[in-house]
Amino acid sequence: MAELLLKASDISYAGNSGNILDSVSFELYRGQITTIIGPNGAGKSTLTNIVNGLLQPQSGTIERMSHLRIGYLPQKVYVNTLMPLCVERLLQLTRRVSETEVDLALAQTEVTYLKHRQVQSLSEGELKRVLLARTTLGNPDLIVLDEPTAGVDVTGEVKMYELIGEFRSRLQCAVLMVSHDLHLVMSKTDQVLCLNRHLCCSGLPESVSQHPEYLALFGDQAAASLAIYTHQHDHVHDVAGHHHD
Amino acid sequence: MAELLNDFVIRSVIAGLLMISIAAPMGCLMVWQRLAFLSDTLGHAAVLGVGVGIWLQMHPMIGVLIIILVIVISLSRVSSFNNALSETALAITSHTGLAAGLILLGTMPGQRVNLESILFGDLLATTKTDLILIAITVIVLLFLLAQHWRSFVAVSVSREIAQAEGIEVRKVQFLMYLMIALLVAVMMKVMGVLLIAAVLVIPTSSARLVSRSPEQMVLISALFGAMSLGGGMLSSFHFDWQTGPAIVLSASCLLLVTLVLKRLSKGRH
Repeated sequence: MAELLLKASDISYAGNSGNILDSVSFELYRGQITTIIGPNGAGKSTLTNIVNGLLQPQSGTIERMSHLRIGYLPQKVYVNTLMPLCVERLLQLTRRVSETEVDLALAQTEVTYLKHRQVQSLSEGELKRVLLARTTLGNPDLIVLDEPTAGVDVTGEVKMYELIGEFRSRLQCAVLMVSHDLHLVMSKTDQVLCLNRHLCCSGLPESVSQHPEYLALFGDQAAASLAIYTHQHDHVHDVAGHHHD
Repeated sequence: MAELLNDFVIRSVIAGLLMISIAAPMGCLMVWQRLAFLSDTLGHAAVLGVGVGIWLQMHPMIGVLIIILVIVISLSRVSSFNNALSETALAITSHTGLAAGLILLGTMPGQRVNLESILFGDLLATTKTDLILIAITVIVLLFLLAQHWRSFVAVSVSREIAQAEGIEVRKVQFLMYLMIALLVAVMMKVMGVLLIAAVLVIPTSSARLVSRSPEQMVLISALFGAMSLGGGMLSSFHFDWQTGPAIVLSASCLLLVTLVLKRLSKGRH
């Protein structure tokens, strides 16, 4: 049995902006990819924030493995234009890491060429990749990704999920991510948490995709998503969105 | 060496340089965290602190430290995790503190407190005791900065990432507020509240224009701060201007020159 990293039991949270979670329980194991899906306002980000320790649940308990190291990619990062900061330094933000590790991380998300660029000058897609690379540094036990593919095109998305799978194998860590790309994440995920303020259903992707509550929430989208994949590509994008003919 | 300190010019230059060495990193942190206005607020509220100190028949510095600590602690309690201090709260505190301070000072007719010296201090009147006190404060603050630098920078970039990755954001933030309070309280007599606020923000803004890393910005701020100090003191001797305002103005001129040079070099590319 894989190592239990985090166990949430009956956690509830009500914020003043209407973000609500009602009695949610789940477990995160080393080496597993867990995906949170759910409609807007379902409490997905609230849940990741509780996992991260940014928010405290008002009831229920959350037990973390001692000294749990987390690597975190927020949904939106507001780039501070008042601070000069290059990509290399951003990667060393919270932990001291060697230059070799920095190079390896940047190479993995194919953004080595951004190493000495100022963070303010990056496009949204480039910043996403840099921040994704950052989460793998310092031997994290758990990588938390809040909508890692927002602002990335569809072919980039496929590569990104492949990468996340690679991180899991290389680092032997757990991954918890929020995603809207039902059709893409289902095949790469070990555990799905289908959230709509409460946990509608959870478990293996195959069992969740048959669940009546899942079908009620995503039935149409799940069918429509198949259509996206029928168009042919005559060129490739690398993860940073650059064309190669 | 000790005899050199008998010269008031030497004493004031050393005091100024010590101030610059701590104002550069602290000023950068304040600018990064959009706290530039906090130094202003604390400066204005410090007028009330001077009043309280005199009223309690203590050293004004102790009064200032008490008032500033009360303000910093209450402000950090009303600030939420995601928002740094609200501008409105800062503005209200600033005006209330100044008004209350002026009234309190006015009710003490026996005491002649010179408002101008509170605003701009008197660098040239730095005593040996002032110098020792400033040196100790600067050493303590530089030590704390060195210890927590990575956390301070991380919190400035993203509170969310910092917290998720094991930095206790609220503690780090509170420590920073305490350090700002200590800085303002100790430097006030020599530098005055307006000079402190200006030295924290103006050279830092110039440095932002020409630096490429957080640490580089701190070093360049220190350099610009020292140049402003030199320029201010020289013009103050030469034209018989007040030292404090002269330092502020030379910092502003330096910012203007940096801006123009930056524009020109951009235009050439």
